[in-house]
Amino acid sequence: MKMLGGFFKDVVKNKVLLFMVLPGALWFLFFSYIPMLGTVIAFKEYRFSRDGFWASIVNSKWVGLDNFQFLFSTNDAYVITRNTLLYNVAFIVIGLVLSVVMAVVLSELVNKKLAKIYQTGMFLPYFLSWVIVGYFAFSFLSSQRGMLNQVFSYFGWESVQWYSDPKFWPYIIIFVYLWKAVGYNSVVYLASIMGIDKSLYEAAMIDGANKWQQIRSITIPMLSPIITIMTLLAVGKIFYADFGLFYQVPRDSGTLYSVTNVIDTYVYRGLKTTGEIGMSTAAGLYQSLVGFALVITSNAIVRKFNRDGALF
Amino acid sequence: MSNKRKSYSLMLAMLLAVTLVVSACGSKSNNESNGSANGGDASEPATELIWYTIGAPQKDLALVNEEINKYTKEKINATVDIKMIDYGDYTQKMQVMAASGEPMDILFTSSWAFDYVQNARKGAFMEIDELLEKYGQGIKETLNPAFLEGSKVDGHNYGIPANKELPAQEVWRFNDELLKKYNLDIKSVRSMESLEPLLKTVKENEPEVTPLALVKDFMPLMPFDYVIEKLPMAVYLDTKDYKVVNIFETPELKSALDTMRKYYQAGYISPEVATTTTVEDLNKSGRWLADRATTQPFAENLWSASYGHPVSTTPAGDAYIFNWSVMGSMQAISANSEHPEKAMEFLNLLNTDPVLRNMVDSGIEGVHYEKIGDNRMKNLPDAGNYDMPTFALGNIMLTYLNENDPEDKWEVFKEFNESGIDAPLLGFNFDATKVSKEIAAVQNVKEEYWASLMTGTVDPEDYIAKANEKFKAAGLDTVIAEVQAQLDAWRAANHK
Repeated sequence: MKMLGGFFKDVVKNKVLLFMVLPGALWFLFFSYIPMLGTVIAFKEYRFSRDGFWASIVNSKWVGLDNFQFLFSTNDAYVITRNTLLYNVAFIVIGLVLSVVMAVVLSELVNKKLAKIYQTGMFLPYFLSWVIVGYFAFSFLSSQRGMLNQVFSYFGWESVQWYSDPKFWPYIIIFVYLWKAVGYNSVVYLASIMGIDKSLYEAAMIDGANKWQQIRSITIPMLSPIITIMTLLAVGKIFYADFGLFYQVPRDSGTLYSVTNVIDTYVYRGLKTTGEIGMSTAAGLYQSLVGFALVITSNAIVRKFNRDGALF
Repeated sequence: MSNKRKSYSLMLAMLLAVTLVVSACGSKSNNESNGSANGGDASEPATELIWYTIGAPQKDLALVNEEINKYTKEKINATVDIKMIDYGDYTQKMQVMAASGEPMDILFTSSWAFDYVQNARKGAFMEIDELLEKYGQGIKETLNPAFLEGSKVDGHNYGIPANKELPAQEVWRFNDELLKKYNLDIKSVRSMESLEPLLKTVKENEPEVTPLALVKDFMPLMPFDYVIEKLPMAVYLDTKDYKVVNIFETPELKSALDTMRKYYQAGYISPEVATTTTVEDLNKSGRWLADRATTQPFAENLWSASYGHPVSTTPAGDAYIFNWSVMGSMQAISANSEHPEKAMEFLNLLNTDPVLRNMVDSGIEGVHYEKIGDNRMKNLPDAGNYDMPTFALGNIMLTYLNENDPEDKWEVFKEFNESGIDAPLLGFNFDATKVSKEIAAVQNVKEEYWASLMTGTVDPEDYIAKANEKFKAAGLDTVIAEVQAQLDAWRAANHK
């Protein structure tokens, strides 16, 4: 009783703040928490019932972990897990370094007009759909009319069948991803660089620190909380591959699967024909669980070294 | 300084907000109403049926829908709300909608979009044996019995096939202009190998032309009846013992792929074929010599009209009646339909009543078309606003002839249907539930190797073995054993 009373007192006291949280909380409730109930489908053999969705779920029979088996039935499980993880690690590490460098460089540019132009230019690819990016890549890599092969033939080199040779694709994938994502991330870092107290730099200058020393001893340390948060968030998604990147950019070319097949594309290809909802739910649940475990672990590690940097 | 800081954080916040809003809008389902028209008055409530069918949504659909409803209300006291979903989205959207129990009464299904057999087994459709008996006599009279017989799943009907061409016959299609220019003779062409001299001539003389214009879905014609299309389990077309073979272990596949590889290396096929999804641009600009297609009577006329230059054909194989050709276009009644009887009455009317059938197909007389004879019509300029896929909407033999169609068009169709040879697996539908995880894995292997092997992009010498090894690892042998067991049981039950 006392606790309940305390709760209401809290609510009344913080009503304005709670009211401001309300839209976000509702959004999460409707689009994240309620749909979570659907994960039960992962353990069922889903069959339609004429009385609607819930009846279908209730009436479908329990099959335990059967739906998870297809993920691990071939050595594909290894290939797709490796691809998903390695690509994401590369994206996180290289992406972080490049974004921070870009942000620092942009913040140090004296000509602010030019800085804006660069920034907008780098930002733009983020808003392009992967389908369009896929066609950009195709205009470079097409074996008949692609720009690269045209250049090669101008120099008299042999033309390359880009879409049937897996050895180039790890680089192409990483390059295309960075081209699209770095601009957006660097804006986030740039914003927090702008938030650093300028008196720190003034004091450093009086002490005779040069630009490089200022960056190393002020900018980077001040950025480290946001870097940690962004990296933690990215680690949580390490088991999610960007479907568009791995499906549209290689043009779904079968010979490239050894280096472009990731969990998302694998599940999509396996299920687009069979339409077994139970299996796709199982794959989604598996991804979420591993992602969840990774966030918890990496957060615990961060907490150990830097309490303030941790998410929670 | 704090001013600047504020403006940056404001900008950031706004960007995030915009991203959120945009992505939320994007994911909003777009299957909502396209003008549910009802031409009813309140005194006598007409049943309203919801009908999902395949094809690009049409500008004048609401207009025609209203006209249709006036007619059906009078005839069977029911109205329909026609909802169209484009070809590329149909399977996925219907899968989601059926799974989530979206209200619907009638829906398009087939062997190639929203798979009929699989979804019938999953319970997406209502079993219609009785309804057909009670309200569908007209359908039973007009439809070639092979359609209803061949589309039974585990002994029951779940959909009404469209009355159209029954067998599937593969033909080589040729760009007639190039044939004439180089005086090429297609009479001697039938096998893949016999094409070579023609391809060679064109390759040497027309550098801008792709001699064999193929897409990634291409598959050489081999004498198999596949258990599931595009998966390597099959029986020979002339099989006597109904033994299921893995086509990756047959000499037919080896020799077909050797030919493909030879053509690929000779440059008869585009080097990008394994990622090419359409050659419409080549067809329309006349920069192609040959390809292969499934034909129907007078298909040359359709093709010539759509490409803008004459197309001629010669058979590549015999006309066989396959499961997939029988189930090429069907309308089913949804399992959650609240008015199954009315839905069947409507389907019966659609398949027997020329007025309704032509209205659904060609729109409103005087707006989209005009009649120039008893059963002959001419498109008006507005026809482009209502261009429906004729094959998908029930009995095509009720539709009016076009200006240039021969008088005996439907007679020829019927003859063609009579001429078809039953494929060995006609009527056998594999139930994949027991091996669904193997099928899912096999499907993934197929995606990896199929297109590049079948189009000659990779060397069959190594890749057939590689692919076969992976298929086996994915559990192909288990699937084949299961197919064989079901097939033997089916044979015993049907005295084949």
